[in-house]
Amino acid sequence: MSDHASHLDGAAFLKNENRGLYEPSPRFENLANACDYSSKNNMAIAAAVPGFQDWREAAHQIKKYSIANLDKLLVQFESQMKARGVEVLFAEDAAAANRMVLDIARQHNVQSVVKGKSMVTEEMELNHVLEDAGIRPIETDLGEYIVQLARQRPIHLVTPALHFSAAEVGKLFQEKLGEPYSAEHAALTAIARKHLRAEYLAAGMGVSGCNFAVADSGTVVIIENEGNAGLSTATPPVHVVTVGIEKLIPRIDYLPLFLNLLARSGTGQKLTTYTHLIHGPAAGKKLYVIFLDNGRTKVLQDPQAWQSLFCIRCGACLNACPVYRRVGGWSYGWVYPGPIGSVLTPHLVGIDKAGKLPFASSLCGACGEVCPVKIDIPHQLVHLRYRAVNEPSPMNSPLERLTWRLWAWAMGGPRRYGLAMWAVRLGVRMAKFLPWHPGKLGAWTRGRNLPRVPSHSFRSWWQKRNSEKGRP
Amino acid sequence: MSSRDTILQRIRSGLANAAAAGFADLREPPVPEVWARTGSNRPALLSRFSEELKLLNGEPTPCATMNDARRQIAQLMESGDCARIGCLDRPPLRELTAEVAADRLDWVAADWTAQQIEQLPAGVITADALLADTGSCVVRCATAAERLMCYLPPICVVVARVEQIAEHLPAAWEPIAKVCHAQDSRGETVLITGPSRTADIEKKLILGVHGPKRLIVLVVG
Repeated sequence: MSDHASHLDGAAFLKNENRGLYEPSPRFENLANACDYSSKNNMAIAAAVPGFQDWREAAHQIKKYSIANLDKLLVQFESQMKARGVEVLFAEDAAAANRMVLDIARQHNVQSVVKGKSMVTEEMELNHVLEDAGIRPIETDLGEYIVQLARQRPIHLVTPALHFSAAEVGKLFQEKLGEPYSAEHAALTAIARKHLRAEYLAAGMGVSGCNFAVADSGTVVIIENEGNAGLSTATPPVHVVTVGIEKLIPRIDYLPLFLNLLARSGTGQKLTTYTHLIHGPAAGKKLYVIFLDNGRTKVLQDPQAWQSLFCIRCGACLNACPVYRRVGGWSYGWVYPGPIGSVLTPHLVGIDKAGKLPFASSLCGACGEVCPVKIDIPHQLVHLRYRAVNEPSPMNSPLERLTWRLWAWAMGGPRRYGLAMWAVRLGVRMAKFLPWHPGKLGAWTRGRNLPRVPSHSFRSWWQKRNSEKGRP
Repeated sequence: MSSRDTILQRIRSGLANAAAAGFADLREPPVPEVWARTGSNRPALLSRFSEELKLLNGEPTPCATMNDARRQIAQLMESGDCARIGCLDRPPLRELTAEVAADRLDWVAADWTAQQIEQLPAGVITADALLADTGSCVVRCATAAERLMCYLPPICVVVARVEQIAEHLPAAWEPIAKVCHAQDSRGETVLITGPSRTADIEKKLILGVHGPKRLIVLVVG
């Protein structure tokens, strides 16, 4: 994994990028409103399907079977696709996948690359790699295009530029594309259409992600609304599919279920505008499929974590998450934001780097309730918290251990608890006389008055009350 | 060892934990029904298809006969939006365009380039099936030109017969799956559900962001 891919050094989540937690900014109000709208819309559409819970359960079982047979499905997919003239490649990590894309680009003398939306290429930081090699990458999904022009990262899995207002997009297009300013949605879309049309026609290569790789038929399934994936994959002479190994499903006959689920959970549609079932390269075209591991097989070494590989990247858990709504996607430090990001990121980049992420949750359970493949995200988070405090991670420091050991001791019996509470009351009373703000506690004492301590504790009040009434 | 074998070995070493993960001895799950088949009649299917497609800002256009469909094409060409049309060379489209002047009609062959197809104001294609409950067109595209005819021209006209309307995706699935399985299949099968759309700026819906702004579906019969 390339290091500049990650902003996680020491887990950014609880550092400077968490400002949104405390300081409401207009930018995140856009986000919170949009998430609320999406979440309600998706729930209404799901509620209109009587069998929706049965679909989720069926999808969960199919994903479970897929992961349990991942090796066989990979081999089956490979042989089906090879028979149609597709080149199937395997990359152990992001760097290897980038080398493969570059090799293919050089082999076909590619000057520019049009890209459909793909989270895997975000993992690879493919755009940087292409730019460094003198090849121009162009994101074609409108949201990704905006984010790329602004040289930012996507803030959401499905709607990457959710934090931009139309006026901001207008200014961006004016500055980067030399277009007259407009804050009108249709005009902005038309500007993007005009510029991107030229890019499709000129590009030597198209790169896409893949929503499902179907093993028994050898089919690459891509879903989208804009038509940009269709154009990116059909126009240039070369199409490269990048896909995580966990995207395999065993049978094409399962697809109607997943298409129904993904569209409803992702964007609240019955079906997305375009569902591409790609069979093989059309005459005169080349098709490559690059399977990426990049840490996914590490998840298999942790038996309790396997279901985190079920994720179909719909974004429903983001929209439902009260933490995500407040802080936005960048706070998660890497490619995958929201509750599922707090699960996937520690697995893929390592708990030593991202061990704080699983703690960035109130464990309210909303994410688990909306997940279309029924990943038990709250328990996945709890499991990762356990690992984070027991393995090398930012959450496993001598001070953390000492603090929690003291806490566990104090909670271990009524006398100890009483003693601890006495000490706390005393501490709170005395704190205002402290001439300095000690360590991490200072973050609290510097800006806030401590609460007034009642004259006696609840326990002593309760005992007194009972003895006065003559009760035991 | 190749990367392929390394990854397969990593997977197999992980899968050795299947019992601990609760993933051991799983049987292949049955294919879920998804949507029940209610056996709706043809007029009901046509009206459902039309309703759904209208909700997506598509233009469902029932035509009792091929003559009606011809009139629709003539109207479209008179409306000023398209001086010419490009057609894939398929028998129903030969029939449909029998009265269109030869100098206003292009037959898009497999060797047409993207640059040529991009110049067409409208592209006419055929559907393999229509899906009533989502307002979708199932279109099989074996060549690059056939694929591009779905996405490049600003107006996409899809022609289908009324008996091709299936209730929903599961009801239309068998032939789609067959194409996916066939060893000689190339290109793609695409499900088109309304004109190209985006809501990427402030969640406001805009049509025709990259693909067609108008999707006209002529349902004949």
